[in-house]
Amino acid sequence: MPDPIITPLTQALAEQKLTRAELRALMQRSNLPAAWRLLVWIAVLAATSALIWAAWDSWLIWPAMFVHGIVLVHHFSLQHECVHYTVFRTRWLNDLVGNICGFIIILPHQFFRYEHCDHHTHTQIVGDDPEMVPMPETFGQYLWYLSAIPYWRTKITELLRHGAGRLTPHERRFTPKSAERVVIGEARLMLGFYIALFGIMAITGWWAPLWFWLIPLILGEPVMRFIRMTEHVGRPTVAQMSDNTRTNLVSLPWRFLAWNMNYHAEHHYVASVPFHALPRLHEKLRDHVHVQPGGYIGAHRDILAQMRHGG
Amino acid sequence: MADDWTDLIGVADLTTGWVTRVDLGARPLAVYHTPTGIYVSLALCNHGGADLCDGYMDGHLIECPLHQGAFDVRTGAPIGAPATRAMKTFPVRIENGRVQIRLKG
Repeated sequence: MPDPIITPLTQALAEQKLTRAELRALMQRSNLPAAWRLLVWIAVLAATSALIWAAWDSWLIWPAMFVHGIVLVHHFSLQHECVHYTVFRTRWLNDLVGNICGFIIILPHQFFRYEHCDHHTHTQIVGDDPEMVPMPETFGQYLWYLSAIPYWRTKITELLRHGAGRLTPHERRFTPKSAERVVIGEARLMLGFYIALFGIMAITGWWAPLWFWLIPLILGEPVMRFIRMTEHVGRPTVAQMSDNTRTNLVSLPWRFLAWNMNYHAEHHYVASVPFHALPRLHEKLRDHVHVQPGGYIGAHRDILAQMRHGG
Repeated sequence: MADDWTDLIGVADLTTGWVTRVDLGARPLAVYHTPTGIYVSLALCNHGGADLCDGYMDGHLIECPLHQGAFDVRTGAPIGAPATRAMKTFPVRIENGRVQIRLKG
């Protein structure tokens, strides 16, 4: 039996920032909001794909692929929400959609789930938080992270390592022993899928997946890195949730793409609250969490200012 | 033999369709009001130690508030990772409108 821990939620209830009745109302799940949002999501994907098609014979294909890539990389936000089982009330739908997202952005779902659980346990604790993005010390380091090159290097290495049947000691700490075979199996499945995809493209000469999916994904990933930095980078490396996480107030299109994950501090307070209820949770907790003025840009101003002044 | 059932809480004091925490001495317990009856388990998740009474409940499923691991409250069986071990549940009876559990056996 593990030792009892005080979660931020338990703390919030004890401090009466939330009542149990409010919490219960906020936690209620439904398949409907996600179904509507997914319909719009698919329409947006179709529209940005059409941009690539329309720009096919011109240099404009590159900005079109970038725009499409911004939408594609936000499958991370949907997958993240699925990790918490808060997209759909029907639990297996979260697994299904999460796995589809994982194949789109090359992020095996079960492993991400275990890793992300550990991130919630050890948020911003140096050496323990497996998703921690270190505060850059120089502008060069800042740009290097935003290039997404270190991200892809880490993720591809991770995928190959799991495919080869190996987990690191740190990964073993948060992956249940009984789940190691699942993590290895899903890595092999994903590697097999991508090898088959490239094989089909090479044999048939049908390169559409490259132009409508993989190149846009690579072009768009720096935008996701830019957004991921706003969540915790530059916040104090302490366990206190009201300090270690930012909420970024951003415009409707970004909230849509992020499945409201810009309300990141609220999400860390109560990860069981579904995406559609996070704005309401924000109204309850706004005075108890760090709300960054200026949204994503404001967060980067803060990071850069701290960098200039030596962290 | 002395009565080995321990009195916990009045049925009327439970939140309908939800989980209610009851402290039995130093031991926190989770009392679940479900469509098929009342069930009781230890309140702390056996994965990370979070209080299941702060979690999400849907029918017979209780979900941990920290990692969203899930258990079936009727049997304690884990039904969602990272929960992998059954949680401890207790035999329950309702006596004169009170929820009672048997701690041993």
